[in-house]
Amino acid sequence: MKTKPTNRLGDRILMGLVFLFLYAPIFILIIFSFNSGVSSSVWKGFSLHWYNELIHNRLIMTSVYTTLLVSLLATVIATVAGTFAAIGFYSMRRKRRDALMAVNNIPMMNADIVTGVSLCLLFVVFFNGWGAFAGWINSIQSVVTLPTKLSLGFGTMLIAHVCFNIPYVILAVGPKLRQMDRNLIDAAQDLGCTWMQAFWKVVIPEIKPGIVSGALTAFTMSVDDFIISYFTAGSRTSTLAMTIYGMTKKRVSPQINAVSTLLFVTVLILLVIINIRESSMQKRVEKGKNRVAVVKEPSRTVRVLRRVAAGALALALLVTLIVTGRAANSRPEVNVCSWGEYIDEELITRFEEETGIAVHYQTVESNEALYSLIEMGGADFDVIVPSDYMIARLIEEDMLAELDYDNIPNFQLIDNQYKNLNYDPENKYTVPYAWGTLGIIYNTTMVDEEIDSWDAMFDPKYAGQVLMINNSRDALAAALLDLGYSINTTDEAELRQAFQRLRDAKNAGVYQGFVMDQVFQKMEGSNAAIAMYYAGDYLSMLENNEDLAFVVPKEGSNWFVDAMCVLKTAQHKQEAEAWINFIASTESNLANMDFIWYASPNYEALEQYPAYYEELYEEELDEEIYAIMAPGEDVLERCEIYENLPQETLQLYNDLWNQLGV
Amino acid sequence: MSKELIRLHDLCMAFDDELVLDHINLYINDSEFLTLLGPSGCGKTTTLRIIGGFTTPTSGDVTFDGVRINDVPPHKRQINTVFQKYALFPHLDVYENVAFGLRIAKVPAQEIEERVMEMLEVVSLKGFERRRVDQLSGGQQQRVAIARALVNRPKVLLLDEPLGALDLRLRKDMQIELKRIQQQMGITFIYVTHDQEEALTMSDTVVVMDKGRIQQIGSPEDIYNEPKNAFVADFIGESNILNGTMVRDGVVRMYRKEFPCVDGGFAPNEPVDVVIRPEDIDIVPVEQGQLVGTVTNVTFKGMQYDIIVDLGGFKWLIQTTDHSPVGSQVGVKIDPDGFHIMKKSEYSGLFGDYSSYSEEYEELADASALEEEESGDEE
Repeated sequence: MKTKPTNRLGDRILMGLVFLFLYAPIFILIIFSFNSGVSSSVWKGFSLHWYNELIHNRLIMTSVYTTLLVSLLATVIATVAGTFAAIGFYSMRRKRRDALMAVNNIPMMNADIVTGVSLCLLFVVFFNGWGAFAGWINSIQSVVTLPTKLSLGFGTMLIAHVCFNIPYVILAVGPKLRQMDRNLIDAAQDLGCTWMQAFWKVVIPEIKPGIVSGALTAFTMSVDDFIISYFTAGSRTSTLAMTIYGMTKKRVSPQINAVSTLLFVTVLILLVIINIRESSMQKRVEKGKNRVAVVKEPSRTVRVLRRVAAGALALALLVTLIVTGRAANSRPEVNVCSWGEYIDEELITRFEEETGIAVHYQTVESNEALYSLIEMGGADFDVIVPSDYMIARLIEEDMLAELDYDNIPNFQLIDNQYKNLNYDPENKYTVPYAWGTLGIIYNTTMVDEEIDSWDAMFDPKYAGQVLMINNSRDALAAALLDLGYSINTTDEAELRQAFQRLRDAKNAGVYQGFVMDQVFQKMEGSNAAIAMYYAGDYLSMLENNEDLAFVVPKEGSNWFVDAMCVLKTAQHKQEAEAWINFIASTESNLANMDFIWYASPNYEALEQYPAYYEELYEEELDEEIYAIMAPGEDVLERCEIYENLPQETLQLYNDLWNQLGV
Repeated sequence: MSKELIRLHDLCMAFDDELVLDHINLYINDSEFLTLLGPSGCGKTTTLRIIGGFTTPTSGDVTFDGVRINDVPPHKRQINTVFQKYALFPHLDVYENVAFGLRIAKVPAQEIEERVMEMLEVVSLKGFERRRVDQLSGGQQQRVAIARALVNRPKVLLLDEPLGALDLRLRKDMQIELKRIQQQMGITFIYVTHDQEEALTMSDTVVVMDKGRIQQIGSPEDIYNEPKNAFVADFIGESNILNGTMVRDGVVRMYRKEFPCVDGGFAPNEPVDVVIRPEDIDIVPVEQGQLVGTVTNVTFKGMQYDIIVDLGGFKWLIQTTDHSPVGSQVGVKIDPDGFHIMKKSEYSGLFGDYSSYSEEYEELADASALEEEESGDEE
């Protein structure tokens, strides 16, 4: 019989393809983290710019710190608890042990989301019970006052991490115990040890490899975890993974690439360490079998070094504990929730330095997500920065606190144009943060006319070239405006007509896709000709693709205002007002405007910005750009602010959007 | 002579409902080499663990030098143990393994050094101080375990089947070595084994155990030559055990024939077990034989042949240097001192017939004994 000829080249190509498939995304991510440009698709040269930015990004550094702290603490606690649990399992009879091991394995197999949600639920239920209990205790005595309101935070996240780490430690330590000669403990006791001495001097050194690899696994899992943290961290705490997720929701900054690269490298290094340890242990076992070499006792220096390293590690842990302990002291604080990439973080530092108030700055991805967080009760924000229509809804539902404008003198600097808007007609609840317009972005090299109408978003001649925005309110607004209706209409016939326009265009193949964040890549990379999006984001895109143009169509558009408000449940109202006042100041507004490219509602800042820009960059601010950033009266006249729609209209939006089947 | 050091008084031990030790009474003298011998599950290891302090007896007392030590934890007893699979500490090298007990006892470093080196000398392991224990051969590990125990200068050394994991050759060497060390150190050894040859070679006193009870205590010669019952006779060496009747002192009847023997002290015509060691039987020409049988199996064992002879339906094992072909008729002759007469016991009729004998017989028996041990270890 002839043996089948092996197709080695084919094998290799297949192998190559498999690995390419596995690793291409990560390589691209790593490469683009060194891109000097802002785009995620256009290579502009090598630079460490984004890593540098990263180090100065307060939000990221805080979350790195949080991640490390929670991972380290959870690892230590889970390793101790898991080791003792494994010893408990070990001393059981085999049947019970096997049953318990099966139970132990379930959390590892279990979907993270189930673990996360169930832990979250457990904490909330416990907090409610605790609230009632503490209230009762406080009412019957006055010696100690128990806090009645507990909320999700670092503590609950730590508990969750410990909880999902323990099974990994047990799994790593268990086999080491089973491999251990049962007589070792007897032998140690026989030689004069008490049980505890035997445990420390014999059992621990024997199972140490298992403990170490269990701890490493636990640490990796902790660093890596997103889902469980997301559900248990509450509003004030955020791990690196959560911060990255938050960043992707607003504007894709290449910082994400840099931070993801670092995360990938960290986990990779940990995995390599685990693997090397395992294989070297294997080798040692084999060597032992062959009885070849005499293994040298580790030299004195190595031993000293080891001790020093262990000492340093312990010290570092202690210092972090003390530092966090102090940070947790009753320093005044304020919890702020805003959008990702929506503040110049210098401002936070400056505010803390000036006032001594600690700021816990969080981000959330959308108005709707913010709403559900507040409603669920897991969050304990003081200041939030929702958009107009959401503010109206929150006021309607009595969730916002009236502000004491005496504490916010800078409110005077807000242009009257942005006061008393329809979402807050008497202006009792809000201080505007930033505003902007929605419009059409198009690539002048791909379109041979000057676009000035919403028609372009529905024109079959641009079939396959148009990116429609992927949210019902904005998308239908474009159609409503094109048809000459108000974006706040509650007339069902008008809305159905608008929907028909959208559907016809979709069926005619006008849309390349319905997108949010992908719009940056597609437009910057000239992969699509026309898109509708926000003015501030257009300006970011322009940095990477000079051929792009922006227009607020002649039929009009939406202009939106995001404003700061204080929740009724806020526990730091005074600090919240101090923060609002600080952000409303001219300096803060200038810094923010420069950072986020959205217009300021502070008239001084709006006026001074071109000069500020010139001084900062030593070049003149392009007037056209400024006009897009902060459009004048003539443009705003055409635009409307979104109002909070009645429930049945919202339902109709929802139904129509579902029918469209995006 | 030597004085009594340890006494076990009416010792009982039950795991769950199972009685593992059934009223054990035993005393052990100073400087004695005493062996607990028996098949696995006979309670010998449990007895050892009670002496070591790892197990507390259900009832009965253990005294050491006249003091009751039932509740004294192992680390406070002047007793050290060599465990079955040595239980060396894998994370420590040879030196540190041996020094372990001294370090726990906070002996000064200088003295530790001296005592460890001295002990390594005794067990012929000088120059191996810095070896990792998993790089040693089985015999070397064994000696480390002994050194580790002896360096603490215990009054008693317990050894739990210490040679079980070694190959035959090494086992023989170590037997001699152990005996030498015991004599050199002059301390009490309590040795547990299921290997009768080991027991006979080394011991001053052998305690044969089965089913949690002591079957016989005596010197190796006593045990071999005057087994008390069929179990002991069978367990110690090979034995043909037959039903007989003691006609009167010095005369035993079996196969409807009377044979002269040297035993006495039985009631007239008392039914007895007759033990005949395979090496005490001579094969002679048919006409000279006291009995006549047919050879059914011959195995060459090096020093001798194991010959199975069918004598009236009962198969005898005979060890002889002369070869007889299978199928041939042979005569069998036994000298009077070749008969060992025992009273009937619960073991009568269970042992001593070689009907099921085959070449694999011993191997099979060994394998099943091993398995039992392992399953016993699990719990």
